[in-house]
Amino acid sequence: MASTTSPDRIKDLTTVLARQGILIAFILFMIGFGLVSDRFLTPENLMTVVRQSAIIGVMAIGVTVVVLSGNLDLSVGSMLSFATVLVVDLHDKLGAAPAIGVMLVATLCIGAINGFLVGFLRLNSLIVTLGMLSAIQGVTLIYSGGKNVDIADQETTWFAIFGRGEVLGMATPIVIFLGLAAIMHLVIAYTPYGRRIYAVGGNPTAAVFSGIRRNRVVFSTYLVSAFCVGIAAIILGSRVMGSQNNVGQGYELLVLSAVILGGTSLLGGSGTIWKTVIGVLILGFIQNGLLLLGFPYFAQWIVTWIVIILAVWLDVAAKRGRLFSPIA
Amino acid sequence: MTKRITLAATTALAGLMLAGAAQAETITIGITQNNVGVDSYQTTYEKAFIEAAEANENVEAIVLDAGGDVARQIAQIQDLIQQEVDAIIIWPTNGKAVVPAVRKADQAGIPVVITNSNIAEEGFEFIESFSGPDNITQGAYSAELMCDALDGEGQIVQISGQPGYTTAIERQKGFEDRLAEACPGVTIMETQPGDWNREKSQRVMESFLVKYDEIDGVYSGDDNMGVGALNAAKAAGRADGMIFVGATNFAVGYEAMGRGEYYGSIYQSPVDDARNALATAIAVVNGEDVPFLNYFDTPKITQENMEEFSKPVF
Repeated sequence: MASTTSPDRIKDLTTVLARQGILIAFILFMIGFGLVSDRFLTPENLMTVVRQSAIIGVMAIGVTVVVLSGNLDLSVGSMLSFATVLVVDLHDKLGAAPAIGVMLVATLCIGAINGFLVGFLRLNSLIVTLGMLSAIQGVTLIYSGGKNVDIADQETTWFAIFGRGEVLGMATPIVIFLGLAAIMHLVIAYTPYGRRIYAVGGNPTAAVFSGIRRNRVVFSTYLVSAFCVGIAAIILGSRVMGSQNNVGQGYELLVLSAVILGGTSLLGGSGTIWKTVIGVLILGFIQNGLLLLGFPYFAQWIVTWIVIILAVWLDVAAKRGRLFSPIA
Repeated sequence: MTKRITLAATTALAGLMLAGAAQAETITIGITQNNVGVDSYQTTYEKAFIEAAEANENVEAIVLDAGGDVARQIAQIQDLIQQEVDAIIIWPTNGKAVVPAVRKADQAGIPVVITNSNIAEEGFEFIESFSGPDNITQGAYSAELMCDALDGEGQIVQISGQPGYTTAIERQKGFEDRLAEACPGVTIMETQPGDWNREKSQRVMESFLVKYDEIDGVYSGDDNMGVGALNAAKAAGRADGMIFVGATNFAVGYEAMGRGEYYGSIYQSPVDDARNALATAIAVVNGEDVPFLNYFDTPKITQENMEEFSKPVF
């Protein structure tokens, strides 16, 4: 597990700043917005944003695991559309529990196909999951016939708990998001399985020679990702009480942005779940903050881009120990 | 037997066409649609178009779909020119990019009818007619609904459609212009896009609710987004007394209206849209006089008159 945690020498203050750049940027950012808008730091608003971020957040946890193993999963956007349409449509036909069960199985099957193609056939993950992105979009269109699906009985179904309810006095999406993040963080950081993922992502050849079954590990990461999409679909379907077949369109890029913001290396082998959580929250608070300040929507896109570039730069700078490249 | 029923069910318009083309041999009409299956409106449109074409025995229809892809649509237009159809109906994937292909059809002597959303103005000289909804008027109608519901006094927010879409731009313009003119007492505090997406609209409304202590009304570019905004207001316990006005009445909006939670909308039927497009194309082929902007009627629907309308299929 060579490059998992290359022990950087902390040379000076700049390096320290760069090392925890994402967290510092996040805090500065929150203070900045808090000073300009008196609504921004109210508990009500903070909770609203974390709740809104839960869907992207849960997906980002799964994608982080895939990226840690050195691969990509771009199919999560249309997988979310598919899973949400399925669970909402089946809710009225089969009842809530069977609907969730069928949806999770179907979603895991898609993950298994991705995992098989990337893990066992060793096909390029970008190509496999980009193809899957449009294939699943097609499947969703065929399934729904283009129609929106809705849950008829919104007031009494217990399915409402996932998107609209509360657990222990906190909105359920937040509990699911942070709970899942905590569990995955423990699994990835402290179990042999987690170490195998870092190993496969950091140096696949060395991992194989250490007796790690690379194919299986990669396969499993796609199952994790698909499972997270399934959970996100439950939250989304319950929150909206309906779905349309393009509901997850573009989410794959939001999710990937959050993972990159969190400093997870796209080459694999380096990154953490909790930093992805920070990345997700930054994205959520950018959107919310700019909206509260009354900026037009396109300002959000530009600011998001700037923040991502800054975060990636700080991350690279942290790894090489200085802000600018030493080689001209 | 079946045939007789079909004939009896033929609409008055199509009946007129039959009479007009009595001497007639069959005319061939090709249509290339924007993106069937992406939403229920377009799916229903295609179904209605095929039904209307089948009901008219003098018409043979070639029904194509561009799948949202401009390049594919241009190729389809070229194919239809090669096949020497009598008229081409286009639902543009992109109002500007299809103009050269439309010009080619015009040069080949094939009349073109644009359906649902118009092409860019520089293409107007190459087309015979535009058949579709009048989005500006729809926006104006929504403004009047909002004005009536608020008695001319209040503060509202607007959730618009996807930025860059003609429908979104025109509805917003129609709404804002008419509101300023007919209802100066109602002010729009802020406008943000909901991207035709219910979840996105719900998120936007949640932020509006944090930002503004008093919101009297919400105008959404379609009912799908409007119901998202309603969801958010209900979750915050602030939906009571808040006026929701939308456009393109969806089934969910219709139901919310029935529950008294949603004030009103604009009834736009994809079936009328499809029939109007086919009738326009047939009239053009038969050399009849057709208005250049051939709008079909999209009336206001509110809690009071909703019984007159059937629940939308989408």
